[in-house]
Amino acid sequence: MPGELVEAPIEVYRFDPATDKAPRYERHVLSLAPHTPVLTALLRIRAEEDPTLSLRYSCRSAICGSCAMLINSKSRLACQTPIGPEIERHGRIVVDPMRNQPVLRDLVTEMTPFWSQYRRIEPHLIADPAHPMPEGRPTSMTPAQVERFRETPRCIACAACYSACPAVEADPMFPGPMALAKLYRFVVDPRDGATRERLVRIQPNGLWLCLRCHLCTEACPKGVRPSERIMDLKELAIAAQGATDPGSRHAVAFKENIRERGVLNELKLARQTAGTAGFLAQLPQGVRIARRKPELSKTPPTIAGKEEVEKLYEALDDGGSSA
Amino acid sequence: MRRHDVVVVGAGLAGQRAALAAVGAGADVAIVSKLHPLRSHSGAAQGGINAAVGAEDSVDTHIYDTVKGSDYLGDQDAIEFFCREAGPTVVEMEHFGTIFSRGDDGSLARRPFGGAGFPRTIYAADRTGLALLQALYERLGTEPFTLYEEWDLTSLIVRDERCQGIVGFDRRTGSFEPIAAKAVVIATGPAGRIYGRTTNAHTCTGDGIAAAYRAGAFLKDMEFVQFHPTALLESAILITEGARGEGGILKNGKGERFMSRYAPHVLELASRDVVSRAIWTEVKEGRGFPGDFVHLELMHLGRERIESRLEEICDFSRKFAGIDPVVEPIPVMPAQHYMMGGVGTNIQGATNIPGLFAAGEAACVSIHGANRLGGNSLLETLVFGKQAGIAAAAYARTAADPSIVVADGKAEAARIETMVRRPDGEDPATIRVDLQRLMDAQVGIYRDFATLADALAKLKALKARYAKVRVRDGSKAFNLNLVEALEAGNMLDLAETIIVGAIARTESRGAHARTDHPKRDDAGWMRHTLAAYARDGPKLSYAPVAYTRWEPKERVY
Repeated sequence: MPGELVEAPIEVYRFDPATDKAPRYERHVLSLAPHTPVLTALLRIRAEEDPTLSLRYSCRSAICGSCAMLINSKSRLACQTPIGPEIERHGRIVVDPMRNQPVLRDLVTEMTPFWSQYRRIEPHLIADPAHPMPEGRPTSMTPAQVERFRETPRCIACAACYSACPAVEADPMFPGPMALAKLYRFVVDPRDGATRERLVRIQPNGLWLCLRCHLCTEACPKGVRPSERIMDLKELAIAAQGATDPGSRHAVAFKENIRERGVLNELKLARQTAGTAGFLAQLPQGVRIARRKPELSKTPPTIAGKEEVEKLYEALDDGGSSA
Repeated sequence: MRRHDVVVVGAGLAGQRAALAAVGAGADVAIVSKLHPLRSHSGAAQGGINAAVGAEDSVDTHIYDTVKGSDYLGDQDAIEFFCREAGPTVVEMEHFGTIFSRGDDGSLARRPFGGAGFPRTIYAADRTGLALLQALYERLGTEPFTLYEEWDLTSLIVRDERCQGIVGFDRRTGSFEPIAAKAVVIATGPAGRIYGRTTNAHTCTGDGIAAAYRAGAFLKDMEFVQFHPTALLESAILITEGARGEGGILKNGKGERFMSRYAPHVLELASRDVVSRAIWTEVKEGRGFPGDFVHLELMHLGRERIESRLEEICDFSRKFAGIDPVVEPIPVMPAQHYMMGGVGTNIQGATNIPGLFAAGEAACVSIHGANRLGGNSLLETLVFGKQAGIAAAAYARTAADPSIVVADGKAEAARIETMVRRPDGEDPATIRVDLQRLMDAQVGIYRDFATLADALAKLKALKARYAKVRVRDGSKAFNLNLVEALEAGNMLDLAETIIVGAIARTESRGAHARTDHPKRDDAGWMRHTLAAYARDGPKLSYAPVAYTRWEPKERVY
């Protein structure tokens, strides 16, 4: 293909835990067309300069999910990230292994925790004895049922979302965006017989640990938009079980709390979320916080223009989300 | 010492389906795969899976289309079995959880595909392989089996005239480990990467086919290599036949819908060999666009249809070629796509070596004959994967315990260390690149004796260079340099069988087009090529084609 070549400085993370004391970056400068994918650049480094560079890759067309890595600190698929815009923005390309996973060598990470979380959500159809599969023919599905699958079948399990997720970093019990998006895929499947059980099981140490930062949706190379699927799950979870988990109680309490005065009443929120007994158990911690930030221990005054807030709530009740 | 009843090598659709069947038959099963199962190349299949389930369609028509598509080299008994299994196979995959595209009435949606008399290709947008792979993996995950993940197959152990196990290379530890098995199923997919311009993944290096070949299995019909008509120019990324099934058209540099000259009845929906030769001819005769390509136009289908039914290729075109198919044509050229040939098997997946079975693209039953129809390969992986799994489990039930010992791993380690460790030598990458250039240039869509004979001489030279291959990476964990050396050896062996088979076959049939022998020769060549390993190159023999009901006719689309 015609076009000018650019000088591409590429700095690649190198580390062999068996022999190296510490990681290092190796710098290569290649002349490449701007649309060249980072994966192609890395494979050229392997073929022409250093065959000891280790990474995972296979299809080179964003369907196998092998080559997720950090490219200038963002979790991306190397095969579909062109070098041109990266060079323009950052002047160089820094390549690191994914986050939230130990490094096995160079860009190859330990993905066992990621796969364990995927297995945790029981990623398979669970038979519904009341509605067995039709014998000898496929299940029929309405267009509305099919529509609920729109994003989730695109997932290629590349773990870019898992790498980008601060909730995974904070708490390894958190299933991570991919597993939850996969759970959503089964929850909305009309062939599955365990919708309610799935929604109940995922709440403790699970669903409500999501921080709603949407970094997974930013990272996802396939448009699965995991954070939106997580919000969908939260709504379905409350619908299935009511606000009984501390996480869902917190979400519902948050909503009701702000509605009262148009501003968050932290003191009351703690009681609403944890219940009276839980509130008392947290009291020593509460006192410590109140000493540092006295304004949190007082009930705030109702804000001016609260009627505008009420209008927002009414709009939300008409078709919005509580989670 | 690791021991299993059945070891399946390869974790794509064929391997997983074999494993599921073998577990179902009560066997203790292990899967050995160099990729995580969900990363398998089956997931890259786009267009769909054939099953004659429509009211206007029939299994007989599917059989006939497949026989004709094979240019009468497919075994008709196998094709009949295959097409009869299609409907139940698709239903089973739907019940496993596959998310297929649907019509407004809730039934499975179907699209027309090349060489097919009716719209019989059932699909999941344009990621049907991924949809099937996910559903099968999720179903298999409910069963007990052992997964050796990121293990390469280095050799099969054939002793006392039966296959008794394998030696694998564990990428994580860098060690060579024997696994005893009463039966082994090869399901490692194709060797498309022996070509540079291929739609195949980088990992499609034919490891299982090569190991079977070196262990004494016959390779069948290796000279038949399918070139997909429409791949992106620079990257050779596949643009599904579904794009033409949905109504996409091909135009040359003069704006002519040139397929009317090559397939006057069905135009763009002729079989792949026909369309690829047409594109090649247009470009070689100067009617391509500057830079040598043709256009695939989808714009007339409208944004909604393109973005919903051809979502992935829309994304691919935008991301990998900077082309938006909604508003502009996609520049395309043919690229290597599929191997009709492979480890020769019968309908049950059995090879000529007792205890060794094969399925999927690594195998050759043969149902595709000289040219595969789109939508038949996904079906093949599932139908014959299941057969191979059942047969392997049945064989394992009566087989004696293998006589594999720990020393078998040590011996393999020593063999490979001797092969690749030396103070001076050539990197496997340069040998691989030169092989790819050779195959692209001289063993492509059109072939002739002189070019092929020259290719064989060059291949021998590459093999001589490979004898001095050198692995520089001394690390244990994830030593890709060593993996690459093993893969290069496999690719060289398989390339040789393709070239030798192509030289010998002095006719044109399906995907094998000889300019010096342009006619099909049923009297001389209606037979399968069998290649057997020998130190100085493959020894060829031939086997008859199985006939049931369909007499050979001239093939017109």
